[in-house]
Amino acid sequence: MPPRIPGPSTVSSALSRCTVPSASSRCQPQQWPATQSKASFSTTPARPRFTKIRRVFRNWINGPGAVFRNHRPGGTNYLQPPNDVIRNVDRPFPLNPHFKSQPVLDDRAREFIWSKIIREGETVKAVSAELGVDIRRVAAIVRLKEVEKDWIAEGKKLAKPYARAVLGMLPTHTFREDRRNEPFEPINELHVHPYTTKQIFWPTSESRHFTRADAAKAFHPKLLSADERVPHPELIQMEKELLQGRPLWDASVRFKESAMESERKAADKQLAKAALEEKFTTRVHSDRFEFRFKQINSENVGPKGRARHAVGWRYGAPYYDRSKGEIKIPTSVP
Amino acid sequence: MVVKIRLARFGRRNAPFYNIVVAHARTARNSRPLEVIGTYDPIPKPDPYDDSGRLHKDIKLDTLRAKYWIGVGAQPSDTVWRLLSMLGIMEPKYRNTEPRTPPPMPREIRGDSKPQDEKN
Repeated sequence: MPPRIPGPSTVSSALSRCTVPSASSRCQPQQWPATQSKASFSTTPARPRFTKIRRVFRNWINGPGAVFRNHRPGGTNYLQPPNDVIRNVDRPFPLNPHFKSQPVLDDRAREFIWSKIIREGETVKAVSAELGVDIRRVAAIVRLKEVEKDWIAEGKKLAKPYARAVLGMLPTHTFREDRRNEPFEPINELHVHPYTTKQIFWPTSESRHFTRADAAKAFHPKLLSADERVPHPELIQMEKELLQGRPLWDASVRFKESAMESERKAADKQLAKAALEEKFTTRVHSDRFEFRFKQINSENVGPKGRARHAVGWRYGAPYYDRSKGEIKIPTSVP
Repeated sequence: MVVKIRLARFGRRNAPFYNIVVAHARTARNSRPLEVIGTYDPIPKPDPYDDSGRLHKDIKLDTLRAKYWIGVGAQPSDTVWRLLSMLGIMEPKYRNTEPRTPPPMPREIRGDSKPQDEKN
């Protein structure tokens, strides 16, 4: 119903009542705001537009598409192309065969990985190789699980129903303790280093044994061979030992040992870096702040005295921190 | 001309950042100095992943060069003096924090006031 707008007679009568001077405030003619009489808005409901597309969709969802109306838990609900024999489980857009929805690890698999690393103390590399999950993904799972457990300990509420609903509609991959697990993804893929993308003509004698290490040296003197640049060089070593006739259990034990060793080395390197930093730092506590003095060499300024790593802001050089196209958000975490 | 060890302000509005420089006293603040021997970030920052609320300030300093310039007579500004005194390079300047007592009144006033007190 449109709002009732006072007629002119009402207003005039109110005004005429106020012509008599009185101390009370009820004579103000503000019973209806003045704006309301100027801008009348329509309260007519919008015309229901039942377009052709809507009509066709409704016919479809009530007829042949009725099976898609409700999602079957534990599986995807993707449309089935009419001329396809196999059931469509990985194509959200059935006409685009190149768009595939990749499976994700479900919560059980992630909990399994977390318990293997945190509870049983296995190395990230060994778990990655055993289950066929990328090293970075394993590390991310452990970090996020730790955050989740922190939140549970703090009593924060988790969006579990949301996670369950989303995971219920995606293709998932799971791991079980008691059976042999399928690998989740390829783990030993080689990162394409920019040094290796150029074409080189490198004459060698035919009799020469030209290995991957030699190829790497041909690209750049400091480039490691492909066998050392892969995420799991220990796996290659294990396969070599298997070929030499070592039993599988022995080779896998040696693999786990070398994975542990390489992780220990990485941790030691990090510790040594922190210790070196600490050695050149003097900490002075005032009553408000801690002052950290880092000893530097101010004469390390490059041949022209304008090196980028030289101490302090540079004189006579523009600072591009506000230019267009510069990345202003941090690109790494400390 | 006097050589000073002082701060040169860089950074942006509300985001100061200082070079610790050795410069002639009469040159402009941000003119090219004799030497840059360090930096001073005056904005206190927490450590990453630290929720304790403790803050720290980062200072980079070539202490060898600072000692050299002090040795040949360079004069640190008050702020740089404070920083250098934290490292033991300069003797700290302490402010007198004792409560101030007024100086004694002149004798003739004191002599006048006493008889007045007796009269009252």
